[in-house]
Amino acid sequence: MFATYAVNIGAAIRTSLMDRTNFILNSVGMVVNDVFFLALWYMFFAGFREVGGWGLKDVALLLGMIMMVVAISGVFFGGYRDMAATILRGEIDALLTQPRAVLPRLLARESIATAWGDLVMGAWLLVAFAGLGWRDLPLVALGLAAGTTVYVASAVAYASMAFWFAGARSFARDLTDFMLLFSSYPGSIYSGVSKVVAYTLLPAGFVVLTPVALLREPDWQTLAIMIGSALGYAALAAALFNLGLRRYRQGLFAAG
Amino acid sequence: MPPIVAVENLRKTYRYVRRKPGLTRLFSRDFQTVEAVAGISFTIAERERVAIIGPNGAGKSTTLKMLSGILEPTGGAAAVLGLVPWKERRALAYRIGVVFGQRSQLWTELPARDSFALLRRIYDVDQQTFTRRLSQLVERFGLGPILDQPVQRMSLGQRMRCEIVASLLHGPALLFLDEPTIGLDITAKAAIRDFIREHAGAEGQTVVLTSHDTRDIELVCDRVIVINEGRIVVDQPTDQLRRQFLGHRLVTLRSAAPSIDLALPGVVRRTSEPHISIFEVDTRTTRVDAVVQAALALGGIEDITIEDPPMEEVVRAIYDANR
Repeated sequence: MFATYAVNIGAAIRTSLMDRTNFILNSVGMVVNDVFFLALWYMFFAGFREVGGWGLKDVALLLGMIMMVVAISGVFFGGYRDMAATILRGEIDALLTQPRAVLPRLLARESIATAWGDLVMGAWLLVAFAGLGWRDLPLVALGLAAGTTVYVASAVAYASMAFWFAGARSFARDLTDFMLLFSSYPGSIYSGVSKVVAYTLLPAGFVVLTPVALLREPDWQTLAIMIGSALGYAALAAALFNLGLRRYRQGLFAAG
Repeated sequence: MPPIVAVENLRKTYRYVRRKPGLTRLFSRDFQTVEAVAGISFTIAERERVAIIGPNGAGKSTTLKMLSGILEPTGGAAAVLGLVPWKERRALAYRIGVVFGQRSQLWTELPARDSFALLRRIYDVDQQTFTRRLSQLVERFGLGPILDQPVQRMSLGQRMRCEIVASLLHGPALLFLDEPTIGLDITAKAAIRDFIREHAGAEGQTVVLTSHDTRDIELVCDRVIVINEGRIVVDQPTDQLRRQFLGHRLVTLRSAAPSIDLALPGVVRRTSEPHISIFEVDTRTTRVDAVVQAALALGGIEDITIEDPPMEEVVRAIYDANR
């Protein structure tokens, strides 16, 4: 299964690199976008020492991790972005006539060129501003794996709504964007309802805040929560997608 | 020998939400049920080439989707190569090839060769078998010069030839083709038909095809199942159907003179407007080239179009004759 996925995503990456000018413009554009975003935080910390206990180094760690999560998701699971539209266009019919699971094929359909820009910026932030070194690599890798799993799983869950209603095309994208937005701010700003949302519907808490907490103060409990949340969200997304796929195959599909 | 496809009282019902006007739709939903396939039964033997035809919405594609494992039926039974398609989808996928004329299974930005290599992995075909099959198909289909060209830069005919090759790489025993010639020009259609007929004949493949083009049926299939409103109207050999319904062509003449008269046996004037005359030609009585020669002999002909009667018309004629 992994070999087939690797060949599939390899083809998607080659596709994203086919138009070299477009690839460079997209990647550089994303770097410029990230630089502007970082400049805002830099100016903020020129005036204030910290926000809710988070200093420049902590925010750099947060932003570096979320950029890396978005980058890995985009490069290796980029099909999540247009999954709702793909479902609504009925393009999974061709996949259903082939002897493989549909969900991995959908995720490997696309690799997003702009994600390479995030990858460069994220790595630079983690090393240059968050002060991470080689000894942090195992925990960073684990945190990125868990964060990417929760991020992609949530996007799959949102896209699976397309099996129930046609409006899911833009709604799924909006929810993914909100999840990204929630993941771009220090965890200390969330309380009450917003905290519940950040740890359930838009799980910024598990995409980036828990991995960051683990990197700031490693302990077994945080590690267990991080791994458990990744497995839980992956299982939930797979169940929701398969439920929707069953509905699609029964002809109860929203787009008819 | 057991049939390759056995279908018994197969049914498929769709349920749609009917939109209500105004704000009432926010509080109540009105469901409408449509019976796309209303209890069809048939069998297909090994090596048969069968066309399933019918007007838009007749239930052809739904039938094909159920037989290829995409859709689950509302009722009835079906066995394809001894498997229940909607329950044993993955096992069946290794043994069938499916082509949707309006959907692609190729990576459009990459060369066709790359998509074929990916399909080798998906269908677990060993490298040696894959190389042999691909070279045979490429040679038979004349794809050599375009194999390394991105699919999106191919003509529609070239793309469709690649789609068919893609569906054959794993050596399926049964081929489902949903509108394989839709949108193609005459030359491309001819190439596709020749290939399907010759390849299926040489490899002993069974073919199930849906089409709107009567020529696809005449030139590729040896049996026709006509579906209308989800029910089988006719199930008979193509030769028999050809004698009754398919041996007609429409010849449209655009002329300098307001009207053209052709007094030939088996040629009947249909509707006409000033300077445009449409004739229905029974090709069993008079060949189309004889009609064209007779028209040209009259002089003043500016344009000639030769077409098959629309599928809707053929089906209506079949339907009326069998009522």
